Amino acid sequence: MEERPRALLLKFPGTNCDAETARALRSVGFDAEIAPISTVTRASLEGVSLVVLSGGFSYGDYVMSGRLASLVTEQRIDDALREFRDGGGYLLGICNGFQILTQLGLLPPGSLIHNSSGRFQCHWVTLENRDPSSPFLSQLPARFEFPIAHAEGRFVTADPAEAERYRESGLAALTYADDVNGSFAGIAGLRDETGRVLGLMPHPERFMKARDHYDPDWGEGGDGRGSGYFLFQSLFEAISTPQLSTA
Amino acid sequence: MPDLLDQIAEAPADHYRRLRISGLDGDQLAELSQRMKLSLSRVDMLAIQKIYAGWGREPTDVELEVIAQTWSEHCKHRIFGATIEHTLDGETETIRSLFKTYIHDVSKAIMARKPDFVLSAFHDNAGFIRLDDNLAVCLKAETHNHPSAIEPYAGANTGIGGVIRDILGAGKGAKPVASLDVFCFGAPDTDPEKIQAEDVIHPLGVLRGVVRGVRDYGNRMGIPTVCGAIQFDDAYIYNPLVYCGTAGVIPIPDIGKKMSAGLKVIAVGARTGRDGLHGATFSSAALDTESHEEDQQAVQIGNPIEEKKAADFVLEARERGLIEFVTDCGAGGYSSACGEMLEEVGGEIVLDNVKLKEEGLVSWEIFISESQERMVLAVKEVSLPALRDLADKYETELTELGHSDGSGILRVKHHGATVCELDCSALHDAPVRRMRSEWNRRLPTGTSEWMTSWKYDVLLREIISDFAVVSREPIIREYDHEVQGNTVLKPLAGAAGDAPQDGSVIRIDGSDQLMAIGLSLLPEWGKTAPHEMGTACVDECFRQLVAMGANPDRIAILDNFCMGNPDNPEELGALVETVKGIAAAADAYSAPFVSGKDSFYNYFETKDGPVSIPVTILVSGMGIVEDATHVTTGSLRRPNSVVSIMGTTGPDLGGSVAARRLWHGLPAHEAGELWHGLPAHEAGGKADSGDSAPPAKTWAGSPCHDNAPPAKTWAGSPCHEAVPRTDLEANLALYRKYHEAVKRGWILAAHDVSEGGLAVALAEFAFSGKGGLDLSLDALPVNGDVSKIARLFAETPGRLVMEIAPEHREAVAAHFAGVAYAELGAATDAHRDLRIEWGKETLIDEPLSELKSLWKNGLAPYY
Repeated sequence: MEERPRALLLKFPGTNCDAETARALRSVGFDAEIAPISTVTRASLEGVSLVVLSGGFSYGDYVMSGRLASLVTEQRIDDALREFRDGGGYLLGICNGFQILTQLGLLPPGSLIHNSSGRFQCHWVTLENRDPSSPFLSQLPARFEFPIAHAEGRFVTADPAEAERYRESGLAALTYADDVNGSFAGIAGLRDETGRVLGLMPHPERFMKARDHYDPDWGEGGDGRGSGYFLFQSLFEAISTPQLSTA
Repeated sequence: MPDLLDQIAEAPADHYRRLRISGLDGDQLAELSQRMKLSLSRVDMLAIQKIYAGWGREPTDVELEVIAQTWSEHCKHRIFGATIEHTLDGETETIRSLFKTYIHDVSKAIMARKPDFVLSAFHDNAGFIRLDDNLAVCLKAETHNHPSAIEPYAGANTGIGGVIRDILGAGKGAKPVASLDVFCFGAPDTDPEKIQAEDVIHPLGVLRGVVRGVRDYGNRMGIPTVCGAIQFDDAYIYNPLVYCGTAGVIPIPDIGKKMSAGLKVIAVGARTGRDGLHGATFSSAALDTESHEEDQQAVQIGNPIEEKKAADFVLEARERGLIEFVTDCGAGGYSSACGEMLEEVGGEIVLDNVKLKEEGLVSWEIFISESQERMVLAVKEVSLPALRDLADKYETELTELGHSDGSGILRVKHHGATVCELDCSALHDAPVRRMRSEWNRRLPTGTSEWMTSWKYDVLLREIISDFAVVSREPIIREYDHEVQGNTVLKPLAGAAGDAPQDGSVIRIDGSDQLMAIGLSLLPEWGKTAPHEMGTACVDECFRQLVAMGANPDRIAILDNFCMGNPDNPEELGALVETVKGIAAAADAYSAPFVSGKDSFYNYFETKDGPVSIPVTILVSGMGIVEDATHVTTGSLRRPNSVVSIMGTTGPDLGGSVAARRLWHGLPAHEAGELWHGLPAHEAGGKADSGDSAPPAKTWAGSPCHDNAPPAKTWAGSPCHEAVPRTDLEANLALYRKYHEAVKRGWILAAHDVSEGGLAVALAEFAFSGKGGLDLSLDALPVNGDVSKIARLFAETPGRLVMEIAPEHREAVAAHFAGVAYAELGAATDAHRDLRIEWGKETLIDEPLSELKSLWKNGLAPYY
């Protein structure tokens, strides 16, 4: 039997979406393992195809979200994640994971700050797929919905024009169809130049089945697949298909 | 005056004292209790004196503190165990323990009828029911009222933190999977001038602080907050209520836990400090302005990440079979946790081992500190290395506190001295309180004329924008209600994603069956009809669960009581009647209580005298939804479908939002005509025209505040209105029929008719935006002579509005033949209005978009 690609989910104190994200990864075929950061060494990344930073509140996010987690990661494994990416590995950051990837400098420069509403926001949003060739988004339609749940999801850049450039170049792989949180250029998700690193604020792991949608009549309903499934499925296929998985 | 404590203290060491209580009289003992903040009565103190006389020695301060925790109302529920002489309408009976008579025994009888459903009840931190062959689910709710009154953010924060630990300490450690939060506040627009006490936080401040406290803890813990309610009533200005609940799941073999000799007792989580001293005893007394100054040390700020790490530790330790026994550190801190663990087997705790936040704590402070985020476990010595590794893995601190030894004695050592040595078996029997209660039922007069001359469309708009009904969306959106990815029926759903649902349904990992969570509280009803409030709350919670798709035979409920002053016979009488009400309904529906809690002394000494809350019962419940296809939304799904109703509408409007709205909310000039010259704002607060003494403010702000027959000027007040009765037998039959229809796939959607009545329920039903409604009330099943206003706005229990696909119309009609069921009309694509007719008269014809806007934005200006 063919060996399944391995996904490693880094877990910090306060990470809390790891279980359902692992479940989502497994449902599309990954061999997913959750690794508390205290146990992670450079060697942990050997044989791993995908590193996932899942949602939550790492270290409480009492200072800037993702800041402490990025410092601890660097302290423990230095720039191993960068080397991992350079070696052809994939990185996915969801919500707090997006914030951590941004703090680690693995995504184009910018910050995720408090929503313009000043509130935590838990609701569903419509997203625009601006990079259909992305290994993360290839199976997703031009517009789809994911739920969000964050207080600090407003993506900003030092110069607002920078965010617009991300949008035009496709680095802003996902944008909000409406102004959700004051993000510059409506940015909901960002990829790096290699295309193998994606950070997004919405939660694909919460929309694996049609039944997870708030409208019982969404899609084919019931056990039919939700949009989140197709994000993980895109990624699984990209990683399992050799010509796409190497830079 | 010399300090009594200093007079009687022997100080064998700096860290603890022995107190010579043998020579004290009752007054002095009472004074000592007060001085040490023990919250023990004179009778209790005399009993303790006698126990020590029997032992031939004097207690240490540590021991008195332990006993005070053990016997506190918070831990021992002395009032629910009291012997009460209860007089109802002049007839007196003796009730030996409300808990035993109406909660425990009723539930045990139900469990006997339903073997293998309830797997654990009453003795653990939460009660479990069977989900499937392998898994069980549990639910627990607690109150955190006093802390939330004093420091809303921190009080609510630690409230949710505490109930999550209850779940982690249930069985050998259940996994928390959902939370619920229920609040009772003064109205957000309360006039600050009206608050008659210093330092009381305005309801808006309490609301904002509490919501943020829940948000910041629940969200960080990664537990979805899926369910909730808010009641607004002036009676809660001084004593806001904050209920926090959490549901959990566990493999069935891990429910059982047992202590034995030779186990290590360990603590994991946060360190111990001076924060949270006397929480259990402080929450067993009334509040006054001084509480706001003095008792702040009893309220802490939570640290959810500490708790998250401890939770990750406990859950993996349980999965790996490393736990023999676990319990949470809640009220009473280590003294309660270790006391519970060692009360039979006995053992030794060494306080020197406890990791402290600060130096210099004396023995009793360490032992009773309620510092948050701590769990206590009993484990085999051989498991210790693996547990230490696990603590390192999750970056939590593990401390060996002591061990169990089979002696039956709780022994506590500190700095080489034995500071506590108690035979817990001697402490089981706290003195039974003897209390007196009284309740006089009112003679209802039915719907008064004053209510019926109001324009229905105007009234609907009034009701739908009333704080009792308006959308809680601004608050719900601040809670992460979808973390864990299992919230199948969300608190706001329907095609537009923002329509109200009857509760929530969550998927349970590893099972094909799901868990529904619902809740009900109707404090307005209880002001005049506590028994009816009790039955209606059980009915509403049960009905919500069934509406969402739960099997009516697989529902268990919780009772959480809050009341004012139990020493006031009238208030206690209302409590007794409420308890009888919930018991009657639980018995009729065979829905056992599996857990419960109570909170007393929710009254406040204002400048105008004491203000009590009305007796407030929260009934929350869990039901098993046997298949994901049974999950039923509360929002209209199709145009051209059939809209029908199940259940009988009665004439009674007592307790309804309509009655309240008409009483409180009339513009002054109209009220002047209607209320015999009383200005509207006074009509609500005064029972008489002003010559006599101000009425007792038992239930501040309510026109129904005293239990005496209403004065003449009250004619036509809500106090004269009968509160609806619940036809338990008929309703249960309907629920079974409904569930059968759900299983057959006939029901597209269903919504419970509750606060606001039928017109509001129908509007909410259509807030999905899928269609307009063309309805007629001609065929509405009614009981007796039911006015138009009652048809539209009565809150008679037992009713569901339903959406049926046209192809199932006949089958459903046949299925419900012979019971209270009727088609009201149809959903339509032709318009987006709510149109309700009665004969040839149009009662309501309102654009749904306008109704929805009123409903959706009602709370927005305040939160």
